[in-house]
Amino acid sequence: MKLPKNLRRRVLLFSLLSFIVAAGRGAAQKQPQIVQVKIGTILASNKNDEFDAKLKGLENQLRVLKYRSYRLLKDESQNVPWQGSKVFEIPGGRSLMVALQEFQDNRIGLKVRLTEGQKPLLDTTVRIANRGNFILGGPPHEGGVLVLSISAVAQ
Amino acid sequence: MKDCENISESMGRWLDGELSPAESESIRAHVAQCAACREAQRKLEKLQLALEGALMAESKSIEFEPFWRAVQLRIAEKRTWYEDALDWSRGLFTASRAAWAIPALIALLLAVASLESYFPGWRGGAGRNAFAAVDSIDAHGRNVALLREYDSKTTVIWLYEDQEGENETAEEPPPPGPAF
Ligand SMILES: [Zn+2]
Repeated sequence: MKLPKNLRRRVLLFSLLSFIVAAGRGAAQKQPQIVQVKIGTILASNKNDEFDAKLKGLENQLRVLKYRSYRLLKDESQNVPWQGSKVFEIPGGRSLMVALQEFQDNRIGLKVRLTEGQKPLLDTTVRIANRGNFILGGPPHEGGVLVLSISAVAQ
Repeated sequence: MKDCENISESMGRWLDGELSPAESESIRAHVAQCAACREAQRKLEKLQLALEGALMAESKSIEFEPFWRAVQLRIAEKRTWYEDALDWSRGLFTASRAAWAIPALIALLLAVASLESYFPGWRGGAGRNAFAAVDSIDAHGRNVALLREYDSKTTVIWLYEDQEGENETAEEPPPPGPAF
């Protein structure tokens, strides 16, 4: 039986698209050896209207949280090896463990665990854009709350 | 009346509407009273639909905004862009052109594949791509909210305590927003 022309076209187009997709994925999966993970620890409160000038680059994101004042407490970067993990000390006896999970489509998959002393507060897996970030916040601290900006750059 | 073998030979062209009215009518009449040919027609149509679905799904997974912009004008034309692409790709495989066209096609695909490594976000997906995707959250029994704000491409995971005492509210306003 002869296939209809539309069907033949679709078979051809389908193989062409599959090839393009496969080629794209192949390139995207080149994994970086090291990812630099940066944690900015910020104290957000409603005590005054002070906005820390060092947080200029995060202003639009922080304003989403609707606090009046933002102050950078700590800025720490660590190089995390592929499929390795690093622990960041967070003010208030907390710590943040960040593990690299995957790199695909220029996105970095992170597994993040926030603990206070020995007890885990939060476990999450997040995929962020290379050079992008996400915000983790809420733990009370010195009359305000802690806000962490977690970002990653593939090296 | 054509026999089943002839019918099945012409069925593809019949479904494509490429037969003369007389030929179409004779096939239609045969298919109407022949269960085997009706079954063949049904299978062929099902296959077409399945492939159409697969094509749609596959083309969705390619983020090709710049490419799309370039072909958007053509979509408005009578012929669809993929028909043009197919005519073009069919031309590639004619003997005289194949010699250079196949390496050229491979080079083009490699270029597309490696653009991402030189110009991350070139596909124009930077906006969507810049958003963090949260795959799982476990707050070990505590309250947690997920907030996404589109203008600033902000993804927030917010831990909060139960508001047992009202005196704490000044300290911990829950983040406002639609996506809790
Ligand atoms: Zn028949």
